[in-house]
Amino acid sequence: MNIKLTSLACFVGLAISSNTMAQTEIEKLRSEVDTLNKKAQEWEAYQTIKQKIEKDVSLLNDKAREWEEWKAPKTLVHLAGFADVGYTDRQDQTGSFNFGGFSPIFHYQFADQFMLEAELEFEITEGGKSTASIGYLTIDWFVNDYMALVAGKFLSPLGQFRQNIHPSWINKLASAPTGFGHDQAAPNADVGFMARGGYLMESNNSMNYALYIANGPTLEADGSEIDMIETPGLGKDGDGSKTVGGRFGMFFPASKFEFGVSLATGNVSVRSGTAGNYSYDASRSYDVVGTDFNWRPGSFDVRGEFIQQEYGAQSTSAAPDSGKWAAWYVQAAYRFSGTNWEAVARIGEYDTPTNSKDVEQVTVGANYLFATNLVGKMSYEFNDNPNAGLTAANRVLVQLAYGF
Amino acid sequence: MKINLFKVYKTGLASLIVIIGLSFLNVSVAEEKKDTKGDFARGAKAWVDNCVRCHNVRDPKELRDDQWITTTFHMRIRAGLTGQQTRDIIKFLQTSN
Ligand code: HEC
Repeated sequence: MNIKLTSLACFVGLAISSNTMAQTEIEKLRSEVDTLNKKAQEWEAYQTIKQKIEKDVSLLNDKAREWEEWKAPKTLVHLAGFADVGYTDRQDQTGSFNFGGFSPIFHYQFADQFMLEAELEFEITEGGKSTASIGYLTIDWFVNDYMALVAGKFLSPLGQFRQNIHPSWINKLASAPTGFGHDQAAPNADVGFMARGGYLMESNNSMNYALYIANGPTLEADGSEIDMIETPGLGKDGDGSKTVGGRFGMFFPASKFEFGVSLATGNVSVRSGTAGNYSYDASRSYDVVGTDFNWRPGSFDVRGEFIQQEYGAQSTSAAPDSGKWAAWYVQAAYRFSGTNWEAVARIGEYDTPTNSKDVEQVTVGANYLFATNLVGKMSYEFNDNPNAGLTAANRVLVQLAYGF
Repeated sequence: MKINLFKVYKTGLASLIVIIGLSFLNVSVAEEKKDTKGDFARGAKAWVDNCVRCHNVRDPKELRDDQWITTTFHMRIRAGLTGQQTRDIIKFLQTSN
């Protein structure tokens, strides 16, 4: 009886304890399943994020590749240029609004060896017509670190104004100095071939040079007088001899001073007739001398130049006399520190064989620089003709110039 | 007096031709020293010195990297910069835009 009771109690005890054990086991398994579930969810979330990131990365890679291509292809293309608009009021005339010009500049560069640079010039005539011309177009070959060969139609490297100062956002006054306009004393452009470059010395001073051979100018006669020396960059050499010349410059960065010497020599002749049917008379000598400087002490910017074109006599010509066309100017600008204002004054003179063309000029101006390449200008030009009596040709010029 | 002046200039012209000739000889030597990548510090100095000779300084932020390449090569021709100065200035401008 006792034995029976004891074994029953044992059995019941066992059954109870095994039941409790099974329950803990289940609890354990349940929590494990929970953890696994959580892990699975995390894994799924991780996979979606991973896919998204992979997609983003490949997208960014594509973009980066596009950008690299854009940054470093063999040929680079860039459109630059400048334009200006304004108002001019001459003392003896009614003032007129004007559009000074729109000059897009194209740069096409092949690796670091070649560059095509071209400037178009769009203008509006008094009669309302739009004109287009090629300011310059050259292909430049960078031969080595010290020289580039430049071929085509280029702005004359003689002096500074025609090549480097005429763009309206650069010129600190709204007009060209007297004698430095088109077909006046300073040669404008030429068609030919140039070698140019520079050399940096140990002292940090540098020299720069431009040496050219080109078709040269032609003369236009009015009766027995030469009316102008035309230097638009002629497509034909009518005088049988090329013009050679160049400019040599030295730059001293420590004193912020640069000076240059220009020289050209060749032949020239008087052209008559009309386009397509020109004839040229016997040729005569042609020489150019010039010198220029710029200096920038403190907030000042001072520059000046002298240029002279000269042709010899030719007794068989309808306009037989020799002649000198010379011009000079000195300009000082002062930038008021902490402001966008700049004051400018320029004095200059233009001297030709024809008294009525001569001009003595003083120009003053105030400029507001919205940015260094966006300039509002107000200029006043005092023009005097000392050799043919005073002419009332003073002018007020207002201009907004943008270089881009 | 006038004739003398022309003679002086003509001699100058002749010496220039010689200098250009020498620059060809110089190339092989210079090629060795050539730093094709450009140097930021040298570029900054060359930029400050040279890029105000003709016009107001242009903000490096104005143009993109590729545009500074074409522009600086254009200016190399105008200003008579050396190839090394050009590479240095490009490096400076591309780092500062
Ligand atoms: C020798 C004079 C000169 C020097 C020095 C010079 N520039 Fe210029 N720069 C010009 C002229 C001129 C233009 C107007 C372009 C034209 O008419 O062909 C110009 C135009 C520009 C433009 C407008 C875009 C373009 O190419 O037309 C930028 C930007 C510029 N220069 C930056 C510079 C930088 C940077 C330097 C220094 C490396 C520099 N310039 C040095 C003369 C100069």
